[in-house]
Amino acid sequence: MSWTRVRRAVIGLVAASVLYVLAAELGRGRLPDRIWLGAHYVENVQLLPTWRSLLEEGTFLIQSNILVESVVVSTRRVVLGLLLGSIAGILLGLLTGAASRLEALADPWVTFFRFTPALALLPLYVVWFGYGESSKVLLIATNVAVITFLGAHHGVRGVPRVYLDAAAALGADRWLQFRKVILPAAFPSILASIRVATGLAWVTIVVAELINAQMPSLGYLLALAGAYPRVPNMLIGLATVGALVLVFDLLALLLHAWGTRWMERAA
Amino acid sequence: MTAGAPPPILEAVDVGYCYPGGTPTQALEGLSLEIADGEFVALLGPVGCGKTTLLRIFAGFLQPAKGRVRCSGASIDGPGWQRGYVLQEEAIFPWMTVRQNVEFGLLAKGLEPDDRGKVSDELLELIGLTAFADAYPRELSTGMSKMVEVVRVLATDPSILLLDEPFGALDAQTRQRMQDALAQLWAQRRKTVLFVTHDAEEALYLADRVLVLSPRPGRVKATFAVEIPRPRSLDTRFSPEFLALKRQIWAAAGLEGRFIR
Repeated sequence: MSWTRVRRAVIGLVAASVLYVLAAELGRGRLPDRIWLGAHYVENVQLLPTWRSLLEEGTFLIQSNILVESVVVSTRRVVLGLLLGSIAGILLGLLTGAASRLEALADPWVTFFRFTPALALLPLYVVWFGYGESSKVLLIATNVAVITFLGAHHGVRGVPRVYLDAAAALGADRWLQFRKVILPAAFPSILASIRVATGLAWVTIVVAELINAQMPSLGYLLALAGAYPRVPNMLIGLATVGALVLVFDLLALLLHAWGTRWMERAA
Repeated sequence: MTAGAPPPILEAVDVGYCYPGGTPTQALEGLSLEIADGEFVALLGPVGCGKTTLLRIFAGFLQPAKGRVRCSGASIDGPGWQRGYVLQEEAIFPWMTVRQNVEFGLLAKGLEPDDRGKVSDELLELIGLTAFADAYPRELSTGMSKMVEVVRVLATDPSILLLDEPFGALDAQTRQRMQDALAQLWAQRRKTVLFVTHDAEEALYLADRVLVLSPRPGRVKATFAVEIPRPRSLDTRFSPEFLALKRQIWAAAGLEGRFIR
């Protein structure tokens, strides 16, 4: 990752913010502040909050410690879910990748879970794992596990035959082949899946935190902002999740770059 | 072979191999050959004549359907470091440094890091890659990474090297440089070598003996002893005896006159 890319990314972020602020200023007093919400009218809605009201709301959320605590609590859940899910998914994927009989066994389940939205699993997990932390963490872990499973499985499957032959010809037993050939050769695919799973974990947390929703949590912050509705809170909540996704993605990207440093870099 | 002589280091007797499938392909049929200790033998044949099949049988990856193969008198029943096999495809491990690649066979043997280091230092020195020891293979040229593959199998001190068209993918110039590098390596490490190629000049330049294979199903069609003194050089390639032998080999391979008529 070069500095040019970082600079361009920052410019993109700043430009979008400036455009938003301009749009909000233009809309002030012109946009309706009373909207029909299905059954009733809601007064004093700022469709595009100005930077002043965002600042005000943000200051409140920070000074009241709500935002910081929410970030800490949600991040903890995401990290736990990521760790659990990645470990389970990668181990299973390595196993099924190396043994074709297991692959056939796991195949339908992977497809099943792959397209099962978190929201659909939510009630089941509440019944199974209760209202506490475990159902939230496990919901994230499930989604993460499916993605990392696929990454590890296809990574192992994609190891070119020639490397295994060369290793066998040099006298390497199966265990050494696994450690020194299959695992490193599958590493790029595994790391790429971890990066995807990291983003997905943050998508899932917002849903997971609808379970026994309470402060502090980013999911509930967003849900609450939607219930009022309070657009500044929504935007701040979204921006916070977005910023965390960016940070986590950067970490995943660095991990990926470290794990594939032997590969040729595409310019 | 006289009575009491040691058994040939590598031996194939009446070997046949057929690839199964919708249209079964008879790759080898009635192939016999013997390679003596310390000999450099080139196996020359057209594309698809079963050269690679034979080498994979010797390496232990394929079992012959007919006949038998033996290494130092013992039958071959699986891959092993005793027969150092360099695949035709590029098989250097890109996630390992050059040194780790060279030491891989020693790691498999269970050698301690210090002992591995001694061997790899020496071998990398021999092919002039000491400076690249800790580089990843992506920094090497195709020719040099092939040489690393050759010393990678040399590191385990096998009794024979099986080289499958190691320089097939190189341009003519690099190819000649690599041939010289290999000849030099061989001069210092007198290993038995079975070298597969489709290039008559390469076979002649490197080998003590050239075996010409027939088109599929492959068997040994003709044998040529190459009694050209070593070290061979660029001048060798243009010497009358070299060219005369080359012409004979071309004739045996059925190449002569093909484009005229």
